[in-house]
Amino acid sequence: MIGMRAKPLLLALALLSSIISQQTAADEKASTLHPVADRPMAPDFALPDMDGTIHRLSEYRGQVVIVNFWATWCPPCREEMPSMQRAWEQLKDEDIVILAIDVGEDEDTIFTFTADYPVEFPLLLDLDSRVIQEWPVRGLPTTFVIDPQGRMVYRTIGTREWDDAALLDTLRDLHDR
Amino acid sequence: MIAVTDSIKQRIQYHRNRLPLLLLLGVLIPAAILGEPVKQGVIPETGLRYWEWQGHGALFRLTQRLPDQTRAFFLARGFAPDDADFLARNCVFQTLFKNIDSAAGATLTYNLDEWKVHALGTTREMLTRERWRGIWEARSLAQAARIAFEWSLLPTRQRYQPADYNWGMTTFGLEPGTRFDLDFFWERGGNLYSGRFEGVECPADLHLEAPV
Repeated sequence: MIGMRAKPLLLALALLSSIISQQTAADEKASTLHPVADRPMAPDFALPDMDGTIHRLSEYRGQVVIVNFWATWCPPCREEMPSMQRAWEQLKDEDIVILAIDVGEDEDTIFTFTADYPVEFPLLLDLDSRVIQEWPVRGLPTTFVIDPQGRMVYRTIGTREWDDAALLDTLRDLHDR
Repeated sequence: MIAVTDSIKQRIQYHRNRLPLLLLLGVLIPAAILGEPVKQGVIPETGLRYWEWQGHGALFRLTQRLPDQTRAFFLARGFAPDDADFLARNCVFQTLFKNIDSAAGATLTYNLDEWKVHALGTTREMLTRERWRGIWEARSLAQAARIAFEWSLLPTRQRYQPADYNWGMTTFGLEPGTRFDLDFFWERGGNLYSGRFEGVECPADLHLEAPV
């Protein structure tokens, strides 16, 4: 039997515990990838990077590909670039690729951006927005994870901490299936 | 006398027992339980005003954009000066909409076409991507500028999983300085929710000049 004196303290602790668990849940969401129903095939594309090299999605078959739609003016897009770079540094030798597709901006704009946000993974140019219109995207940033068979398996809208350990394990698991 | 002293001691003990709870509630109640879901304020660095709703799984925030900010942004993205000026004078806000529900599978959807703008004695709809298409067609806006514009706006319809969100501009088709009320709606777990911002102010068209 709980004494009358202990009840308020327990109530307070229960409330505090609930708040902490909600906060923890919110933190976990920063690394959550949402599964895409039925895993449809990702639409293929062929887009140039900043050096003019063409990247065709289908040529990455056999690898896990993170396809990120972004733009330099988009604050959350900028926010997640550093964690994408850190993820890239950990994954580039593991057959996991990041392709970040800028929507509607030219090389000069992106070049200026990379002075403040240096990244090593390919930044592709979808100047006329033809590619993004073929993908199920409504706003930026939206990111897809493509499995080695070329299927869309995860999607996120908004930022994630891409170098989060649990998130990286989720990506690596796609190789092991 | 002894009875009074005992009574006081009992009261002190009573309150002492509840102190942790009272302290905790004193902090939390105004912010999370009894507090209004609508907050409004001024961003100290810019002086721009914002309106924010937080409740029923949704975080929705409107922040003023000065017309000159909007002009500069779109001039840098291929807009002719007349088009940039036309857009800037249509009451533009920076907007955030986020699913803050932490429950797994708690999806949230909205449709800006269902939202209502009350201003100048009438009720109107927001100027969404789709409505702007006709306007830009009539003004012969360049294709590259249209692409930049469309992706800069908050999506007209969106479906968010937990932690998903978008930033984007919203436009209300009102003159600078106009005040309006906004009724907004979203669906979560099969239930329709609504909120209202009152007295939202389209930013004035101030032209700040550099000191001579």
